[in-house]
Amino acid sequence: MSVLTEAIARLLLAPALMVAGAILVKGYVDVGDGFSAAVIVTLAVALQYLVLGARRTEEEIPLLRFAPRAAIAGLLIALASGFFPLLFGDPLFSHEPGPGKRPIHVGRLELMTPVLFDVGVFLLVAGALIALIHHLAEPPELEEEGHPAPAAASPAAPAAREEASR
Amino acid sequence: MTALALALLLPWVVGVVLLLADGRRKLVGWAAVAGLLANLGALIWLAVRVLPDGEQTIVTGGWTDGVGIVLRADALGVVFALLSSLVVLAALVHEVLEGVRSRTFPALVVLLATGLTGLFLTGDVFNFYVFFELAMIAAYVLTAYGDDRHQLGAALIFAVVNLVGSFLFLIAVAATYHVTGTLEMSEVAARMADVEPNAAILIAVTFFVAFGTKLGLFPFHFWLPAVYAGTRPAVAAILSGALANIGAYGLLRFGAGLLPNELELGSTVLIVIGSSSVIYGALLAVSRRDPAEMLAYSAIGQAGYVLVALGVGGPIGLAAAVLYAILNALSKALLFLSGALRGALVAAAFAVGALSLAGMPPAAGFLGKLQLFRTGVEEGSVALIVLLFCGGALSFVYAFQLYQHEFWRGDRVAVGTDSEKGVPAEPSGVAVRAVSVVLALLVLGLGIWPEPLLSLSADAAAVLHGGAVR
Repeated sequence: MSVLTEAIARLLLAPALMVAGAILVKGYVDVGDGFSAAVIVTLAVALQYLVLGARRTEEEIPLLRFAPRAAIAGLLIALASGFFPLLFGDPLFSHEPGPGKRPIHVGRLELMTPVLFDVGVFLLVAGALIALIHHLAEPPELEEEGHPAPAAASPAAPAAREEASR
Repeated sequence: MTALALALLLPWVVGVVLLLADGRRKLVGWAAVAGLLANLGALIWLAVRVLPDGEQTIVTGGWTDGVGIVLRADALGVVFALLSSLVVLAALVHEVLEGVRSRTFPALVVLLATGLTGLFLTGDVFNFYVFFELAMIAAYVLTAYGDDRHQLGAALIFAVVNLVGSFLFLIAVAATYHVTGTLEMSEVAARMADVEPNAAILIAVTFFVAFGTKLGLFPFHFWLPAVYAGTRPAVAAILSGALANIGAYGLLRFGAGLLPNELELGSTVLIVIGSSSVIYGALLAVSRRDPAEMLAYSAIGQAGYVLVALGVGGPIGLAAAVLYAILNALSKALLFLSGALRGALVAAAFAVGALSLAGMPPAAGFLGKLQLFRTGVEEGSVALIVLLFCGGALSFVYAFQLYQHEFWRGDRVAVGTDSEKGVPAEPSGVAVRAVSVVLALLVLGLGIWPEPLLSLSADAAAVLHGGAVR
């Protein structure tokens, strides 16, 4: 990898995250949703892995080690936003505020439970894909044999491995 | 409604949360057991509501018909969900007591149960596919459980073949949507009558091949022996006792429920394929010495009986198919679980399973065979009765050959070690044996007091031929 690709990879990360954020929140008035936002984030991260290698990427963005946990949290958020009407005796997957009512606005962002659902989907997809990339970049066999894994990376690694196999 | 939602939500959340924990710890294993118990409890609650009053339906989001996704619990779905949940629970308790060897095993088993519950309780063809994949993905990983070469080989075969099956199923779902414009099962059933016959037949055949592959019917059976013989006993019990129910349920729901005309048209083909499955499975099972392999071939034969009953159709045939699928799942789970154990009472539990498989009176399997004979008599077909008799006789031979081979030979060796140089097996723990014994008592109990099971299967079949309130 040349210096150029490295520089571009670093430069691309922040705009990619911003675009993903925009796609995630505008899903309810325009084209976009949690899934595509997560794919965009994952593509940007995949580029980092490709250019810097797994170890350096994870040293620079330590958040990546939480990918499996993010996926699980995302799934739980999504389940919660689908099943919460059970508490009020409404049909499953009803959303709050319901049809016809005005949602709370923060600027142009509309706050309602489907947005929460999409945040869950975003976390799930991004977490699972990043965990997969981690394994493609640094297969468990390599970690155990030749390369002594860095101490910081090792606690997350088994969790990530299991997550990826799921 | 609450019971239906809880039956889905509880195992799902428990399974997902358990993914974070290390499944090798006893506590995590028992938490998974608790999750499955809660699932079973919710299903029983649901069954108590559904069986007297027909069915329960939830349309998600309170949308109008045709927009929201429909979750529907009717007698057929509830019966299969209960059965699968019970088998999965037994297998999980067995493995937790034996000692779980992988981090994710308990979580995956619970997620598999979620997928099964979901697919039996959905009224939407695509939703069926989604839950079906949830169960299958968990099963792919579970097949590799043990991380031995055998298990990995089995998992590879299992994943490849079943992905092809899932793909065919998805194609059939897409085709169904294309010709009917809906995915809601009752709507599909209503509109299928007006569909051009060629398209309908093609869809029916694709569904049949997809479910035939899952169930391991004769021409699509090639993957089954390698997989069942390669996996760990608890996983084999889950695969044959719970996951194979997808195939049986799918054939019943999609064949008799959604495509009844096509089913009638193809009934001869179904009976022929079913019969060859019965004979082929039984003959090969007799010729095998490895218990898991023998049980795998026997599973092919037993699936054939379900298909024959389905091919004959009508209230009696369908009830026989449901009943046979239930009893077969229970006896298979019992045989796989107890076959791997050693010590007192295990042989008795195994013998009950073998009796049930062969269809001998004190065990519940007898009822299944009896209903099949009734189907044959009703149909007035001598060939069918001869086939049932031969199949039954052969299953008696292989079941007791296996029993003799496994439990009467003096030198008992530990499972997985070579029989020549293997060390004599230690007796398994009392608690593990108790699981098999409880399952055996259940099979015996159902054989001695068959009335509830018979009425359950008649209710379940009534959903399909329209006898019940729909």
